[in-house]
Amino acid sequence: MMTYRLNFVLWRVRWVIQRLVVYFLWWAIFANRQEVFGYSQTMMLTYILLSNIIGTIVLGTTTMSIGNMINSGELSNFLIRPLSFFRYFIARDVGDKLMNVAFSVVEIFLLFVLLRPPVVFPINPLVWIWLLIAIAIGVVMYFLFSFLLGLLGFWSAEIWAPRFLSFVIMEFFAGGLFPLDILPKPLFQLSQSLPFSYFLYFPLKVYLGQLGSAAMLQGLMVGFMWCIGLWYLMRVMWKRGLRVYTAEGR
Amino acid sequence: MGKYVHLWVKLTVNSFLVSLTSRLSAILFLIGKLLRFIFFGVFLVVLFSKTQGIADYTLMQGLFFFLTFNLIDTATQLFFREVYRFRQLVVSGDFDLVLIKPMSPLFRALVGGADPLDLLMLIPYVWALIYVGSKIGQVTLVHMSAYVLLLVNGFVIATGFHILVLALAIVTTEIDHAVMIYRDITSMGRVPVDIYREPLRSIITFGIPVGVMMTFPAKALFGLLSPSLIVISLLVGGLFFFFSVRMWRYALTKYASASS
Repeated sequence: MMTYRLNFVLWRVRWVIQRLVVYFLWWAIFANRQEVFGYSQTMMLTYILLSNIIGTIVLGTTTMSIGNMINSGELSNFLIRPLSFFRYFIARDVGDKLMNVAFSVVEIFLLFVLLRPPVVFPINPLVWIWLLIAIAIGVVMYFLFSFLLGLLGFWSAEIWAPRFLSFVIMEFFAGGLFPLDILPKPLFQLSQSLPFSYFLYFPLKVYLGQLGSAAMLQGLMVGFMWCIGLWYLMRVMWKRGLRVYTAEGR
Repeated sequence: MGKYVHLWVKLTVNSFLVSLTSRLSAILFLIGKLLRFIFFGVFLVVLFSKTQGIADYTLMQGLFFFLTFNLIDTATQLFFREVYRFRQLVVSGDFDLVLIKPMSPLFRALVGGADPLDLLMLIPYVWALIYVGSKIGQVTLVHMSAYVLLLVNGFVIATGFHILVLALAIVTTEIDHAVMIYRDITSMGRVPVDIYREPLRSIITFGIPVGVMMTFPAKALFGLLSPSLIVISLLVGGLFFFFSVRMWRYALTKYASASS
């Protein structure tokens, strides 16, 4: 028990340190500047701190184990049960996200007390509603995206390399380290054509009130279309994957 | 010593063969590592060019700091990849088999499985380091020597950190998060630690010697480090390494050989 407790504590310590590394970097950049890339210190630090909370909600998932379940043949245990594999992982993810959010709220609160960062707090209730919708789209998109990566296990035993590669690309284009609109125009346009910006960047821009109504609606629509596209792709891959599944390892 | 060199070559060849079993996987990992390097490089270029330098450092100097970080970080991972696999040895009790062999268990746990992908990654890093270094301007032989000396010192401190992680693994069987916490903290050295505000700057310079590891070598090359600070850095490195080895020896006395 002691071992698992320490494991858990170090996991949370790591989570906090990861956030502090980015926060301190931006805090340092604003040491003798009022504005960088059109962002004030308040807006940028809000962006970074909130990206941690939204990241916890959107990017926390248990679907990473799907590839291993397929490769080890453990998937067979689910196929013979009157249970939807997809819904099983939705239930697991909900539980996982709730636990992550519970801990990160406490940790972020402590960071606020210790660091006392200047933050933007919108008073317009509409912003909060739009934010919740944007986060919901991000949650669904990332769940489907991660699920799809897991399904690669039907065709290959090498599931960690594609996941690592996608993680590196996602880490950059999701906008967790910096707002994507500080990038040169071609790179920014590329980021907008990928689904990753809907994980963090889009909800954060909604929160900061930097999107007009048209841009916000367009973003939500595009995000919704991504969800449908990923859902359809996942269904196709699941059906085709089951055809080649041999329960190897069982 | 010769015996250990022979052993290291054997273990490394085996590790390389295992790592390259799946070429597709190796290629994807390589692309991922390269992209991560390029992405942060792009971020630094954007940051330095739009802010006209940070903490009085130019873009080229900023890139040189980043490349020095990558050199130390990658060399460390190249040699010490086995640390990431050590937990399994402890929890399964297979570490017993290491202990009864006529070789240092620390040697086996630390350098028993080099990573060929990191060896390949060193090629673009070294090339970029030389290229960016040549753009910085005149470098004296003394400054170059100090740079190499402090690079080695940084590597010694990184070795110390990995030994501490191994010791922690024996005492608690926890290693995965511990080694990643080390990597997260050292990632603050991707930029010169001078840019951070106090008291953080002092803490990550000497308290957790990220600054000594990652920033001081490049500062020495630019001629921005006094001889006394170089001496202090070497003392910090030596003491930290000594402390790590003591912790390892202490941890060995706590090994319970559970599950064996």
